[in-house]
Amino acid sequence: MILWLTIGLLIAAVLLCLYRVARGPSLPDRVVGLDLLSSVTVGFIAVYAVVSGEIIYIDVATVLALIAFLGTVAFAYFIEKGGMPWRKT
Amino acid sequence: MSLFLTNLLLALLWVSLSGNFSPANLLFGYLIGYLALFLSRRAFAPSNYFGVVERLVRFVFFFAWELIVANLRVAYEVLTPRHNMHPRVIALPLQAHTDFEISALAILISLTPGTLSLDVSADKKVLYIHAMFAEDEESVRNDIQNNLEARLLAIWRQPPS
Amino acid sequence: MAQNLSALLILLGALFMFIAALGVARMPDLFTRMHSSTKSATLGVGLIMLGAALHFGEIGMTMRVVAIIVFVFLTAPVAAHMLGRAAYFAGVPLWEGTLSDALRGHYDRRTHRLLSDEKVDETSAGDLAV
Repeated sequence: MILWLTIGLLIAAVLLCLYRVARGPSLPDRVVGLDLLSSVTVGFIAVYAVVSGEIIYIDVATVLALIAFLGTVAFAYFIEKGGMPWRKT
Repeated sequence: MSLFLTNLLLALLWVSLSGNFSPANLLFGYLIGYLALFLSRRAFAPSNYFGVVERLVRFVFFFAWELIVANLRVAYEVLTPRHNMHPRVIALPLQAHTDFEISALAILISLTPGTLSLDVSADKKVLYIHAMFAEDEESVRNDIQNNLEARLLAIWRQPPS
Repeated sequence: MAQNLSALLILLGALFMFIAALGVARMPDLFTRMHSSTKSATLGVGLIMLGAALHFGEIGMTMRVVAIIVFVFLTAPVAAHMLGRAAYFAGVPLWEGTLSDALRGHYDRRTHRLLSDEKVDETSAGDLAV
């Protein structure tokens, strides 16, 4: 019961992140949305591991946490080096 | 440092003798070893190991408390419909010198809700932070310098006793 | 007992993640959004992971959970710092309620160096289109 409430909260969080990714207004705003989306997904996988009783899913969460950090850093580097010069940020 | 290794050795000894290799038991063995070393501290040359461990534990509890309180504050700000925050970008002169000290301070500032470290100046003298509740700029600066930074630096800067 | 505590931790973590997402959707400018996303999300992941570790109660699981928590607590501020710096550099506007901006004019736009005391003349230094 509590686990389903948890999953509901996390789905709401994903929708709010997607709203920010779609809305912008600037590229860094979207990156913040994506960064949080990956954090929420890490939490989601952990909750799913508890629901299904499979420990192996925690490994998936580990890998996702590692890769999400790299993605955010790459985006930050891209923005600092000029971003998309054909568009005003 | 050698006291730390001795302590670790005592913990491993405890684990192997009690035959239960679980993290909780390892921690328990470490605590017992620490107690034994602390009681016989006069037998060793003066070392700041005991002081460092004590201040580190205190700092962890202090920081956990700050984390909870400040998180609730940000949660309140997010959940109430009107924005009554007063953000500022503040320049914070650093007492920390080495790269390790500066990055530790920056990470802790970022993890304390309400403050976010943005960048360090190229000469490593000033840390620029974004503070969310900064009606009074001076009090935010004093709070970080006297509470967080002073406690953090005191962990390893105080002389051996 | 442990099951109840684990369910409570997971629920609390999800609540913090929801608050973080709400903050990202609601806050007025990029930097206040980043406040909400780094801290509450870090705490949320940590709580959910602790709850999961408590639920399974195995050594291997606990080790992995500790590794994830340490990693997230170390990397989230670094990511926020890099993104905040890049966004400030790219000229993302601050909220109009921001009281003061100590960073204004301290970036050398050509060399990407941040100066601590002297101000850079914005008109001559800002000719690099960002």
